[in-house]
Amino acid sequence: MTTINREVTPQGDLPENPERLHNDLHEIWGNPRGLKALTIVNHTTLGLRFMVTGMVFFLIGGLLAMLVRTQLALPDQDFMSPDIYNQVITMHGTVMMFLFAIPMLEGLAIYMIPKMIGARDLVCPRLTSLGYWCYLFGGIILTFSLVLEMAPDSGWFMYTPLSSSEYSPNLGSDFWLLGITFVEISALSAGVELVVSILRTRTQGMALHKMPLFAWYILAMALMIVVGFPPLILGSILLELERAVGMPFFEVAGGGDPILWQHLFWLFGHPEVYIIFLPAAGIVSTLIPVFAGRPIVGYGWVVFAIITTGFISFGLWVHHMFTVGIPQLAQAFFSAASMLVAVPTAIQVFVWLATLWLGKPKMKLPMLWIMGFLIIFVCGGLTGVMLALVPFNWQVHDTHFVVAHMHYVLVGGMFFPLIAGLYYWLPLFSGRMPSETLGKWGFWLTFLGFNGTFLIMHWTGLLGMPRRVYSYETGMGWDIFNLLSSMSSFVMSAGIAMVLLDFALHFRFGKPAKHNPWNADTLEWANSMPPSAYNFVSLPKIETRHPLWDDPDLPRAMAAGEHSLAVATHGRREMWGTDPLTGKVREIIHLPGNSWWPLFAAMALAVVCISLLTRLYPLAGIAVVIAALFLLRWSWENGAHPKAAPDAHVAPGDPSLHSRTMDGPGLWAMSITMLANGSFFLSYLFGWFYLWTVSPEWRMPETSPLSLVGLVVAAVALTVGGGILEKLVRGLRQQRDAGLAIGMFSISALGFVQVGVTLWVLLSANLAVTETSHDAIIMVGLAYALLHGGLGAVLTLLQGLRVGYGYVGAHAPFEPAVVAQLWRYNVVTFWIIVGALAVLPRVIGS
Amino acid sequence: MTTTMQRLHLTHPLHFVIGLTLWCTWFVAVYGGHAVACAVAPPAPEQGVFTLVNALLLVVSFVAIGILAALTVGCYRMAKHHQGRLRFNATVSAGLYLFSTLGVVFAAMPIIGIPPCL
Repeated sequence: MTTINREVTPQGDLPENPERLHNDLHEIWGNPRGLKALTIVNHTTLGLRFMVTGMVFFLIGGLLAMLVRTQLALPDQDFMSPDIYNQVITMHGTVMMFLFAIPMLEGLAIYMIPKMIGARDLVCPRLTSLGYWCYLFGGIILTFSLVLEMAPDSGWFMYTPLSSSEYSPNLGSDFWLLGITFVEISALSAGVELVVSILRTRTQGMALHKMPLFAWYILAMALMIVVGFPPLILGSILLELERAVGMPFFEVAGGGDPILWQHLFWLFGHPEVYIIFLPAAGIVSTLIPVFAGRPIVGYGWVVFAIITTGFISFGLWVHHMFTVGIPQLAQAFFSAASMLVAVPTAIQVFVWLATLWLGKPKMKLPMLWIMGFLIIFVCGGLTGVMLALVPFNWQVHDTHFVVAHMHYVLVGGMFFPLIAGLYYWLPLFSGRMPSETLGKWGFWLTFLGFNGTFLIMHWTGLLGMPRRVYSYETGMGWDIFNLLSSMSSFVMSAGIAMVLLDFALHFRFGKPAKHNPWNADTLEWANSMPPSAYNFVSLPKIETRHPLWDDPDLPRAMAAGEHSLAVATHGRREMWGTDPLTGKVREIIHLPGNSWWPLFAAMALAVVCISLLTRLYPLAGIAVVIAALFLLRWSWENGAHPKAAPDAHVAPGDPSLHSRTMDGPGLWAMSITMLANGSFFLSYLFGWFYLWTVSPEWRMPETSPLSLVGLVVAAVALTVGGGILEKLVRGLRQQRDAGLAIGMFSISALGFVQVGVTLWVLLSANLAVTETSHDAIIMVGLAYALLHGGLGAVLTLLQGLRVGYGYVGAHAPFEPAVVAQLWRYNVVTFWIIVGALAVLPRVIGS
Repeated sequence: MTTTMQRLHLTHPLHFVIGLTLWCTWFVAVYGGHAVACAVAPPAPEQGVFTLVNALLLVVSFVAIGILAALTVGCYRMAKHHQGRLRFNATVSAGLYLFSTLGVVFAAMPIIGIPPCL
């Protein structure tokens, strides 16, 4: 932490020298250079890194797409061998979905959200950094499989049994499962901190109903990531365990079911489409009012549509599985839900059209891409409704029609708005304007090339051409269409290359942009261009949805330090912690500075990933321990630690630092993390009951192998520990900390008792985990309980130590309340595990 | 307790998610219950739609419709008594409850016409 030895600038008074204030803030927030640039945790820098890395992966995915279209351009081609083709097509989908679309949009959100809501950074900056490194390392590991010619080749959704060890004995599936899980750490960490940042760090006065629409969209996207990704993480862990150890979760002979993989994958996979679409729609809802020169028509309708889309999209997953033999009534439920989701999407389209209709649209370059989006996405949405109808779905299942629909929705619904957004915010990134000429050429080539490629695929699909085929015979009636499709794809590539060239050249040759060049209404344009590391010198009080339209002088006043928190002499990275509903100030949030720990932890996790790939399990175990040590060391530098905030001094009239209250953002971060954890746990329970109910060869022993007495003893120890912790937290709320350290050590001991007894139950059960899915899934459930119990015990032990060091107590009561949330979660889930795995089988029987 | 009651007030934004959470719960209950019923005690195909499974699924759906419709009316009425942020919250919540109600009606309609386990 930087210390600036100067008197505190009184809050509310104008700073005597704004230039000095800028310099002081820069000293605290500025980015280091050289090797230390790897320690940067600032959201502006990391958002840009996410986006640049995402574009690199986009180029790799695009190159793979060109290889596919080259192979399919003519019948009976042998441009690629079937094995390589399968790898290329699998990696095209995987790279585009997991390494480009989501990280790119998350990068944009990481960059934009604090600036739009009047904050100085995201609420967990080191988590942003960990997320970036996990994304980079996971992406490199996954992509490296292409170089080794060992890439996954079972399609981007990795259906079992094709992806199982029997039919995919090489390392391709392992690269996918481990690499994607690694990358998903990044997605989840960004999801958690975006939710908390939007809810708790908006500037003063920015109540929910005054929040920029883009923040609403990102809030929904982030929550969907938090709930939607864990089912795939569970599925990936189960499939990797099956491949590496032989636990038969998806093998019928062992009591498993390959359809379970489809459920887990699409429980993630369908919301994923909307996770990608919603931020892109957020870009559209941000740009259209600016270029129409009027507020959006029906702000409340858009909020309604966002929330509805977020929920309904979780009720559609089975429409990807209409042909697997599900009863007609169940198919009808999902068909109806699939049609329902068109309603909120249509509402948004009508809102955008009405805004354009009632405004005076200026057809600048970003608007060109928005118009392209409207045309393409509406077409993709309509074919989506067609695919929601079961009989039609059966007809075109696994044909190029589905490929065409998917690209209309994803390229139209994500890529076009993304480019519109990048053109719109380029002046903010760089302070320079792009070339209209190059940009227009890029748009028209992309738009025409895209439709030439994918409109035609609807026809080849209706003519019966299956997706993912390596080649086709001449005389099927597909030749000319495939040739046209391939030629158009190269036109599209030329267009995208032109856009990227425009982006690259504008940094050097673009005209300097005037401030707020599009006359936008949102706060990000109150930044300098390009922005400083701390975003705003002072944080304003916001009264309207359109702060810059209603007060054009606001950027100058903010930069002059005429608003709140215009103080830097304490040396802390500070911003407001506000009420999630009203935007009233509740505390000052102080953020941690640059750190090596996120990079070190990500490197250790990369070693875990590579060790598991190469089956070096002892090394993987050591790397897990090292990663845990790095993460715990990182957590040590929080709260009242000298490196975080050694003194709690604030300016007169200001609220306390969050670490000196019971109300910090860490509570919210833990809650949202437990939401993700809960989604994982529910997916696990779904798997247990699904196999029990549906699996054709399910084998359950007459008597449960688990000791009920042992499990109840463990559960009681856990519950007593949780109860004591709740009592201590209640005491801290009343400023009482007598016996806090001893209490924490006692709770930790109870946690270790739970772990020990659970471990004894597990070992004494003599589970045949490679023979039956019943035993294998019990093993996973108890391992989950052990992991959580162990984590709870260790964190409580650390809390006891921190009390001894003076970092936790009545003066800094925050952290035990955070740990208590984990304990509550552990108590509830452990009792559910006892009920589901040990009690129900005894009650119902096999 | 006071905080909990405040959160349950119809102008609280928690109602943005309660209606659709109920819709999701209904959806999972109907889909899961239907799957379990067909696995454990499938009715004879010649019974058509006049089965205990269809009847129970309809009852669950009517209960969900009743709760959601009542909350729709409640939020709509509450919106009239407020201005600004609270009116916005209640109005959007009313719309979301209405959509959830109609969502149950629409997705439950096949129960009337399709035998359960074919």
